[in-house]
Amino acid sequence: MSVGYKSIQWTKTKLIYDVILIAAIALYVYLFITVSAKLGAEMNIPPVGNAVRIRAYGSAAFVLLHVILSIGPLCRLNDKFLPLLFNRRHMGVTMFVLASIHAAKTLNLYHAAGNLDPIVSLFVGNTEYFNLAAFPFETCGIVALLIFFMMAATSHDFWLTNLTAPIWKALHMGVYAAYALLVGHVTLGALQSHRDPLLTVAVGIGMVWVVGLHLAAALQEAKLDRQSLAVGDADATGFVETGVTVGDIVENRAKIVTISGERVAIFKYDGKIAAVSNVCQHQNGPLGEGKIVDGCITCPWHGYQYLPENGASPPPFTEKIPTFDVRLEGDRIFVKAIPHPAGTTVEPAQIPQSSVG
Amino acid sequence: MNPDSPRDDFYRHYAPMPKSYRRFLLVLIPILFLGILAIAAFLPNIHSQLNTGKIQGRQTFEGLLVAEPVPHIIVPRPGNTENGDGFSRYVLSAGNKAGVSQKVLDLAGQWVSMKGLVVSRNQYSMVVGPTAEAIATPEGVTIVNPTDSTDNTSPSEPEPTEAIASPEDVESDSTDATSPSDDSEPAEAIETPKSITIDPTAGISLGEFELEGEILDGKCYPGVMKPGRGKVHRACAIRCISGGIPAVFIVQNDRGESLYFLLEDTEGKAVNDRVLPLVGDRIKISGEVMQYDDMLVVKADPDTYARM
Repeated sequence: MSVGYKSIQWTKTKLIYDVILIAAIALYVYLFITVSAKLGAEMNIPPVGNAVRIRAYGSAAFVLLHVILSIGPLCRLNDKFLPLLFNRRHMGVTMFVLASIHAAKTLNLYHAAGNLDPIVSLFVGNTEYFNLAAFPFETCGIVALLIFFMMAATSHDFWLTNLTAPIWKALHMGVYAAYALLVGHVTLGALQSHRDPLLTVAVGIGMVWVVGLHLAAALQEAKLDRQSLAVGDADATGFVETGVTVGDIVENRAKIVTISGERVAIFKYDGKIAAVSNVCQHQNGPLGEGKIVDGCITCPWHGYQYLPENGASPPPFTEKIPTFDVRLEGDRIFVKAIPHPAGTTVEPAQIPQSSVG
Repeated sequence: MNPDSPRDDFYRHYAPMPKSYRRFLLVLIPILFLGILAIAAFLPNIHSQLNTGKIQGRQTFEGLLVAEPVPHIIVPRPGNTENGDGFSRYVLSAGNKAGVSQKVLDLAGQWVSMKGLVVSRNQYSMVVGPTAEAIATPEGVTIVNPTDSTDNTSPSEPEPTEAIASPEDVESDSTDATSPSDDSEPAEAIETPKSITIDPTAGISLGEFELEGEILDGKCYPGVMKPGRGKVHRACAIRCISGGIPAVFIVQNDRGESLYFLLEDTEGKAVNDRVLPLVGDRIKISGEVMQYDDMLVVKADPDTYARM
């Protein structure tokens, strides 16, 4: 949570995360270059520096992108992966740096020291844009790199707040376009020149993994959405029967219901029931999968907190989410379909002693 | 569910990590590292980044500098060569993506001492970034058709006393004793040929052939680039060839061996700027194959080169 903007708000966990990330990448690049040199030595061929480094950094970025794309759906499938999520933007920026090193080295080796400016050479070297087999794979890589640049440049919470979460998230969904472009970059480039079929198999496994995980997460999400549909229509007072009972909710946790297409998180705590929008103002994380900690609804993604009574972050923080009126009929929970504006204080429903689960 | 049970653990990055998450990560992170190790060890094996192209070190040559169809130097082979090919021809280029310097080219038709970096792949060799100076044509060497206006017809002054250098006898920084071409012998075998005639234009026609292969630049393919061919290398090869580095046509024979052909048009001129759209693609060239000593050249109109 933030009051002012700092370049990075370091925590011990974030430091450990970054150390592990950098160590893993350093190990990968070192091993790739060392194994290449060893294979060369066995054939009495001296190691070839920059060409091998181009492949080491390029493949490191591509592998890391698979890890980054896996974190989201893995977290939907199992919340134990959440410790990988909160600092994913550092992973993304690191991947952009790796891709940039790959691009800079490529530009220097393949396009510099010639009779054209290297950037111009990059675009005019191959202009077979209407021939799939001969398509200039470099262009796919450049566009993907530009998307990564946009994402890295706007990765800070300053941009998240000022662009607003929906626009920021839409912009960062560009990662999927970038992934598709990179599959094209690799398929139309490296796979055409390096003839070992295992390289194609490796890229295929990566694609199946990424697409499969997203499908699995989407199927689970659709199932939960179906289960969370409110059972009734709004009555004369505007309340909707949610289908959730007090006993269904674990203390300090929530159940998510979908009312008029909007997900609402219904929390139970201290003998009370309160309902708020399921969408965290920070990155639209699922608040209903969070927990009440220190009296605050706490988002599972980055730990942003809101008071259940008014949907406002405790001072000095300023984030706010919409709140909903709640009514109990016996054990059954009713929620008013139309929310209050973000930060509006609403009296939580008191659970009769006989209904405390 | 009991709120205090491990299943109700809740992770916040700014708070101590619950035990169940810690246990999970203690398994997950080593698995991720093992995966990274496996991929890093596996990928270099399936990239085509190893071939016999080598940088052989700086070496000195003495021979006749020729400008066409591509700049090259004709070096008399050491020892008794009366019954075989008497000369090796080494193609020339600059150190960057450009043809050999004009300063060197100005010496075309003359006997020169040349020093440059030798890169080679199988039987093909190139001298990169050479410096050269004109020296007296050795005694007994007769040059006909020197390909420029300078008349170097011997006998020249009887000045030179040094033996003609073989490629490997000076300043090779390569630990590999292999010479740039298969024919070279150790330095002690060198003898100045008694009487030789060099005609750079005297080639033997091997007949008309239809050849399938790939046009690449003559420097990166045998040198620093690996694989140095195919689509990933195309942009580089286009820069090199458009910059003046001789284009080389690589053809694989039935035994999977690579044959290297230089390209000339029907007028005997270099084809560089006319083949750029075809570089790095599989193409077919039909033309007369000429052998100039150990150099093979396909003579054909570049307009007839066809993409396959």
